[in-house]
Amino acid sequence: MQDPNRKPRRSEGKNNRSLFRRTIFLMAVLGVGMFLPLAAQLYQLQIVEQEDWEKRAATQQTKSVSVAANRGTIYDREGRAMAMSATVYKLILSPMGLYGSVDKKKYESTTAYEQALYDLRKTVVDGIVDLFGYDEERLWKRVERIDSGYEVLYFELEEEDAEKARAFISEKKLAAALQLTPSSKRYYPFSSIGSHILGYMSQNKTSGDNKVGAQGIEALYEDMLSGELGRVVTSKNGWGMEMPSGYDMYFDAQDGYDVRLTLDERIQAMLEQTLAEGIATYDIQKGAFGLAIDPKTGAVLAMASTPDFDPNHYDQIINEELKRELEAVAEEKGKDSEEYGAAVSAARNKQWRNRTVSDLYEPGSVFKPITVSMGLEEGIISLEDHYYCGGSKTVGGWPIGCHKKTGHGDQTLTQAVMNSCNVALMDIGEKIGAETFWSYLEDYGLTETTGIDLNGEENSYLWDEDTFKGIYGASSLATGSFGQTFKVTPIQMITAFAAVINGGHLLQPYLVQSVTDQEGNTAFYHETQEVRQVISESTSDKVRDILEQVVGTPKGSGHNASQIGYRIGGKTGTSEKRDEDTGDVMCSFMGFAPVDDPQVLVLLVYDSPKRSAPQSNNIASGTYISGGNIAAPMAGKLIAGILDYMGVERQYSADELSGVDTMMPRVVSMELTVAKGQLQNQGFECRTVGTGNIVTHQVPAAGAYIPGGSEVVLYLGEEAPPEQVEVPDLAGLSPAAAKGRLEDQGLFMKASGVVDYTDPNVVMAAQTLDPGTMVSPGTVVEVRFVSSIEYGDQ
Amino acid sequence: MRKKAKRDLTIEQQLAGGPIDLPFLALVMLLTAVGLIMVLSASYASAMYDLDPDVITKGDPLYYFKRQFGFAVLGVIAMFIISKIDYQHFRWMSVFVLGASIVLMLLVFVPYFGRSGGGALRWVKIGPIRFQPSEIAKVGVILFFAAGLSKRTGQVNLDRRWSKRTLTGRMAARLDRVGLLELVPYGAVLAVVLGIIAMQHHMSAMVLIVVAAASVLFVSGVSLGWFALGGALVSGVLVWIITQTEYMTARITIWRDPFSDPKGGGFQPIQSKIAIGSGGLLGTGLGNSRQKYLFLPEEHNDYIFAIVCEEMGMVGACVVMALFALLIIRGYWLALHARDRFGTLLIVGVTSLTAFQTFFNIGVVTGFLPPTGISLPFFSYGGTALAIQLAEMGMVLSVSRQIAAPKAE
Repeated sequence: MQDPNRKPRRSEGKNNRSLFRRTIFLMAVLGVGMFLPLAAQLYQLQIVEQEDWEKRAATQQTKSVSVAANRGTIYDREGRAMAMSATVYKLILSPMGLYGSVDKKKYESTTAYEQALYDLRKTVVDGIVDLFGYDEERLWKRVERIDSGYEVLYFELEEEDAEKARAFISEKKLAAALQLTPSSKRYYPFSSIGSHILGYMSQNKTSGDNKVGAQGIEALYEDMLSGELGRVVTSKNGWGMEMPSGYDMYFDAQDGYDVRLTLDERIQAMLEQTLAEGIATYDIQKGAFGLAIDPKTGAVLAMASTPDFDPNHYDQIINEELKRELEAVAEEKGKDSEEYGAAVSAARNKQWRNRTVSDLYEPGSVFKPITVSMGLEEGIISLEDHYYCGGSKTVGGWPIGCHKKTGHGDQTLTQAVMNSCNVALMDIGEKIGAETFWSYLEDYGLTETTGIDLNGEENSYLWDEDTFKGIYGASSLATGSFGQTFKVTPIQMITAFAAVINGGHLLQPYLVQSVTDQEGNTAFYHETQEVRQVISESTSDKVRDILEQVVGTPKGSGHNASQIGYRIGGKTGTSEKRDEDTGDVMCSFMGFAPVDDPQVLVLLVYDSPKRSAPQSNNIASGTYISGGNIAAPMAGKLIAGILDYMGVERQYSADELSGVDTMMPRVVSMELTVAKGQLQNQGFECRTVGTGNIVTHQVPAAGAYIPGGSEVVLYLGEEAPPEQVEVPDLAGLSPAAAKGRLEDQGLFMKASGVVDYTDPNVVMAAQTLDPGTMVSPGTVVEVRFVSSIEYGDQ
Repeated sequence: MRKKAKRDLTIEQQLAGGPIDLPFLALVMLLTAVGLIMVLSASYASAMYDLDPDVITKGDPLYYFKRQFGFAVLGVIAMFIISKIDYQHFRWMSVFVLGASIVLMLLVFVPYFGRSGGGALRWVKIGPIRFQPSEIAKVGVILFFAAGLSKRTGQVNLDRRWSKRTLTGRMAARLDRVGLLELVPYGAVLAVVLGIIAMQHHMSAMVLIVVAAASVLFVSGVSLGWFALGGALVSGVLVWIITQTEYMTARITIWRDPFSDPKGGGFQPIQSKIAIGSGGLLGTGLGNSRQKYLFLPEEHNDYIFAIVCEEMGMVGACVVMALFALLIIRGYWLALHARDRFGTLLIVGVTSLTAFQTFFNIGVVTGFLPPTGISLPFFSYGGTALAIQLAEMGMVLSVSRQIAAPKAE
């Protein structure tokens, strides 16, 4: 019986309803509800995040082989290729591919499989070691990195080597393990010439395997030069192998633009040669730097500093001095030592440093024309002014000495500059006043970088402006007026100096003349950028005239820069290094030519000639240490070389004209008197050897060019000239004595440098043919003369 | 053999000879066909490269497809044969199926028969056939539960079953009243089966058996309180496992952010998402998956749906999901119309199993759920599993034969 109070817990009908309801519930939840979040998740992945996943898919599913774009060429102003690219090959090892290419299942035992794998690896290792001499131990390590598919063994295999590698790969069927991909290599045909301007290519953190411009124009114009990499995209499977249903996509490489520099390789080579020669001749200890610019445009024709490097092997030390230093460190500490590593890196940095833009120096007396230009422009001084130098001037209670302790006495403005008199310049500076002086420093661009198109340009280091203009600034103004106690970069100095001599136009110096694409369309062309006019044309004319006197007059401190046929103007400098207590000085010369229409402006600075003794004013060979005795002769020769190269005609004075090269006529078989007459008409002297009336031999041969006024030799009768003659030693001789000594041997002298037959101070500085050399008679020996006057020009 | 005339058949036999449910059959066949095509596409690469160390394909790209196709044919035949059986026989068969599955599951631990796969012992190899006995255990549990619970009439006279005079009698009566006692045999069976599977470390099979069994219990009318209690218990255990075991915590972390371990645990989830995501709306086209080329592991097994998404895009994936949804809905519809409670519960069990399996698989592949190894019905490679699934469908179809035709208007 059922309890009437208790309802039945489950009735058939209720039970069926519950079954129905619960089934419907499951149907709704499992048949519909459940799929909603899944569909939402799909929507999220396939629609919302689709791009992101697609990118990831593409990254892992495709192998993108970059096709190097041809990097643009860097040309000099005459179109000589200074940096160019050529195709080379990367040799890539895929240890993973090698590992995968040995199929484990094909071998009966593990040992057999391992042996097969070892054999294949050995084939690869032996082959690479044989072909290219790769370090065997290292290669074994690399070949066993099975999780790596990309080990670059060689970055730049030349075509010849690549061919060998290709043959090896196909012969041994190693395509899964070794690959060659083309890349591009930079060549610098002129090696170290212009290395600081060109820069070099190297890998960096972000560039990966690719090299990018690391310095100089290569770095600054990286984007334009590099072009855009092309790519070949191929599909690959999870093991990095090409897919059976593979597809390829090609993206063409966009070749880089060509850059044309204002630099002239020949002038650059001359400048570098001049620096090297000066360093060797004058015992220069801390290198040298120099610049040659077109003063009318600001175009840099040459820019060099030592030590330099070879961009083809940018990390090698090529400077002999640095090499010696490194060897010393290596000997003392060992090549594995930390010190050696640091020394190598320091040496590299030294070689890479472009001192003309990155280093500061005290310009010294070279700055004096700038001070003079301020005074003349302001009308405070004039060419008629006289200055008295008593050896020193008291400024702010302290005497500041002139380099000539006894004083220059009374002198005109021009003489003051010729003498490079500090006292006169201090007087001028005082007249100009700190305010005006400072504003001219600004106008001449000495307070800011020039903006030349190179990385790493430094700015000048000047006095604090307020102090300079204040009551304690007098001594700064005094020393500043002759170029000491402040520092500028060489490029700032030459830029300002260009404005002094070019009519007052401050121009932005530049190195890149134009950029063109591969079709020859110009993407960029540099128009002369005039920053401002600093002084007037007439002031500029006056300063140029003064500067011509500095070089042109025997007593002028720059006389050693004078060259026959060229009107050269310039200023010497021997600047103290006030931040060193070495007593070292910098000998410099800033010169330009021709004076009436300057084509080139040159700055040469030799850092620290070695004194023969601690207090000596001379180097070991006896040359007086000064800009006038060390930098000026080198600069004069350089300027003449540049002008000759540029095709600027020499203008000879009547005197000089007699020394111009003249063609030797044929006088053999003539009667002596006729011959003599003809030779005299040509401006030759002559002497005779032997007796007779008919000329039987002549030295030099007909058609040879020898300097006019030379004494030719006529042989009469049986006499004949000797087969060979010895070149005499001309050391210490004056031009006249040297000429005579040579002509005695039947040789001729082509004089250069300071050729003054009347000045007893002029002596031989260098001869092209070493004494004792045997040459045929009639050979022309080039002899350079300098003035041995000790030019003080601090 | 001549067919018997209709009049010679018993009512039961007549009922069992009714028409099978064509929409359901069509959906099953469609899913099987699409699944086969996807196996062909997805397994192509790994068969060609002969990736699986346990399988020797000899570089035949059709290797997996051929085997799957063979089992599909066997499965379809089995499905028709089973659909011919009067499902009332399944009642008594259920005990034997369950028993057999338990024996087979224990066979896994017998060295000669047992085979390990994926680091765990869960396979049995008898003759040429290699399969997971846990697949059969799922059917066994569903059959056993359905058969047992279908006898719940609700008209139980509790007062008569237990003596009120003894303390134990009164206690038992109370327990019976709240419905615990009737659950005891099912709980015991479930405990035995789950225990064995736990020894095989087969978490996913345990989950599926639990949810399938729970579905049958749920529909059979067991008090919701027990589900609440069971649910709370399971969630508690899960939370404890996830937070207290390093292994699970790490798995959850990787699930939340696969990129925290892109080369290790995160690799497969990432590759799966790359496959799905790169498919976009319309996909790369059938056969054009790139992820199957050695990127996505298990691309023809558990992760085949990712290849579906990659090749067919969101549109194709949704069509496949819609087919599953229709199959499930049709399954429950059949359950609602079944001739008796046993039929209903049987279909509910089988349909729920399929539904949960689908949900878990797609959930894992798309990263909606944390990774577990559950295959996608009709799609994932695995011949015996496919055959058993088709056999299960045969049971549903068998029940569908006895549904009374709607009366003509």
